[in-house]
Amino acid sequence: MTTTVAPPTQDFLREREAVRIRAARPDLAARHDLSSLDGLMAARSDIAAEGDTGSVVAVVLRSFDLAAWVRDTCVFALGVGPEQAADWRTSFTRTVFLAGNPEQLLERFDFAHVADDGSAAWTAPGPAARTSSLRRLLKLYTAPAGVPARPDVLVEIPRAHRPPERPRARRDLYVATADCTISEALVHVNHVLAEAVLDGLVAPGDHLVVHQVPRLVGLPARLATVRVTTEKHFPGRLKAAAGLTEEAPVA
Amino acid sequence: MTTLSVAGPRPRPDAAGRPRVLLAPVTITPSKPLTPSHLKGLLWTDVMYRATRPLADVTYRYSHTTYHRTEQTLGFWEFLDRGRGATDYDDFTEERIGELYVAFRAAERAPAKALLPYAEAAERGWVHPVSTRVLRLWSRHYAALGLHDPGLLRHQPPGLGLDAALERLTGLGMCLDQREVGGPAYLDLTRFGLPLRRLVTADGRPNYLACALRELIPLAPDFDEVVLLYDHELDSDYAQLERVLTVLGPRVRRVALGRVPIEGRIRSARHGGWRGLHAGTLIDAARAEHHEDAVRLGMRLYFIAVLGPGRQQSFRSDLLLQCVRRAARLLDAAGADPDGTALQDRLAQHRKDHLHVNPYRLTSHLLGKRRTAPADDLLRTVFL
Repeated sequence: MTTTVAPPTQDFLREREAVRIRAARPDLAARHDLSSLDGLMAARSDIAAEGDTGSVVAVVLRSFDLAAWVRDTCVFALGVGPEQAADWRTSFTRTVFLAGNPEQLLERFDFAHVADDGSAAWTAPGPAARTSSLRRLLKLYTAPAGVPARPDVLVEIPRAHRPPERPRARRDLYVATADCTISEALVHVNHVLAEAVLDGLVAPGDHLVVHQVPRLVGLPARLATVRVTTEKHFPGRLKAAAGLTEEAPVA
Repeated sequence: MTTLSVAGPRPRPDAAGRPRVLLAPVTITPSKPLTPSHLKGLLWTDVMYRATRPLADVTYRYSHTTYHRTEQTLGFWEFLDRGRGATDYDDFTEERIGELYVAFRAAERAPAKALLPYAEAAERGWVHPVSTRVLRLWSRHYAALGLHDPGLLRHQPPGLGLDAALERLTGLGMCLDQREVGGPAYLDLTRFGLPLRRLVTADGRPNYLACALRELIPLAPDFDEVVLLYDHELDSDYAQLERVLTVLGPRVRRVALGRVPIEGRIRSARHGGWRGLHAGTLIDAARAEHHEDAVRLGMRLYFIAVLGPGRQQSFRSDLLLQCVRRAARLLDAAGADPDGTALQDRLAQHRKDHLHVNPYRLTSHLLGKRRTAPADDLLRTVFL
């Protein structure tokens, strides 16, 4: 029988979220007491109120396949330059998802990355105004269906052109699918992966194993990074929506 | 050639190799009286149809069946049945039905599931009695005005089902279908710089543009020219429709007509407020003093030549009646064409680089200051 680690506690989730806010925005951390749930919520509401002021990425989606999208999200984030990465990190890797067919848009728009099969495309992080004509042309991506069931899948992050600076690592990506739409899962997984890449947790050549579970409980390994959200039907409680485990060497 | 049945024979050039023209005006939801704006569109289309017919093989496609699938129609039917149960609408007036429609538009929308039985029945040709009643009343107005009836009460299903239409669009690289993730299906002409346009909502309801595509995609390849007539407000949708149909072969002509303001305001019929200004009352008022032909010609003079394609002038009953009087004088003076020019040649003058006759130019010509009396073959063929 596989051993499992204890599910993430409320304290653990609050702490992880506080670390995330402190890293991205020390000013917000100074304004709010991030050791309390109320302080955390106040900081999050400040972030939400800032709207379109910071750096933002637009992702154009024609169709959705979780594993392929995980891979391309990492490839895109690995290609973001250090300056753009810092600005994007400050805006909490803010991303808008748009419904669109990248193949129809390539002549008019510059994308930083386009999936090989043309199913998705990413703009470089930058001021929201830079994506305004794209956003006028397209609509917000709407995917209210639940995340379709699928077996665990190994995603290999391409080695890219530069040699990895460290041995290839393997992590498990867990996505909580209970009561979660595809639109919501996209947001959660996007933040987990983008921030993990920008923080150096995921590098070219790494392996990610994508697991869909109803909730992030009963996991065999500890989480190194986690996307914290609130329980839909229990607003005072935090929930782990997606997370990456501690690294293990690639077998 | 009159209205086309999809199952029936397709138009072909006749022995003289006449060009084939499809007139496809936007339809009016059969749920209310015909307002001055509606009358303008109907009269405009009718003159175009009858004036082009001597010059080309013309199909006038106007199918209520196609557009019953839109939410404003299905929702109205469901709203009535939910609130009133089985009701006999045969003695309802257009105004009364229009009031019910205004109440429907002001009410909360029913969930998509509630409309499903109506959608399925409408696909098979079922029509709610409230709309049958309206269409019967409209048929009388058509007859009074001498309008060609393109099959108001006939079952005229579109040539493609919704899925088939979306598949055709996908084949043309013009569809973004995200129904698999519970999202909408869009018309995707972004490569031309046109914004993504939703065709089917996330909960499965097609809009009128989706209905138009179901109808026009299979028809368009059989024609040399397709003329789309619609309200100015729908310009961006029709620009998209034009793009789609153009790749199927025909030259597409868009004719946008401005609505008729009432006391300076353009109001949608969904808000009601017709206050006695609709086809029934206007026809009755004109016919109280003038004979049928004068009313028919006068209405065309007013709604086409006087109001023009724009929307600058508010509706004026006094000007309409003046036009009817003018029409009566023109009819009294009418005779053979003084130059003996063939009717076809006279009609052909009112085209530019297109196949259809321009109703505004043709009708305005009758009112020209130095015009001699109108030719009665023209009046009979086009205006009466």
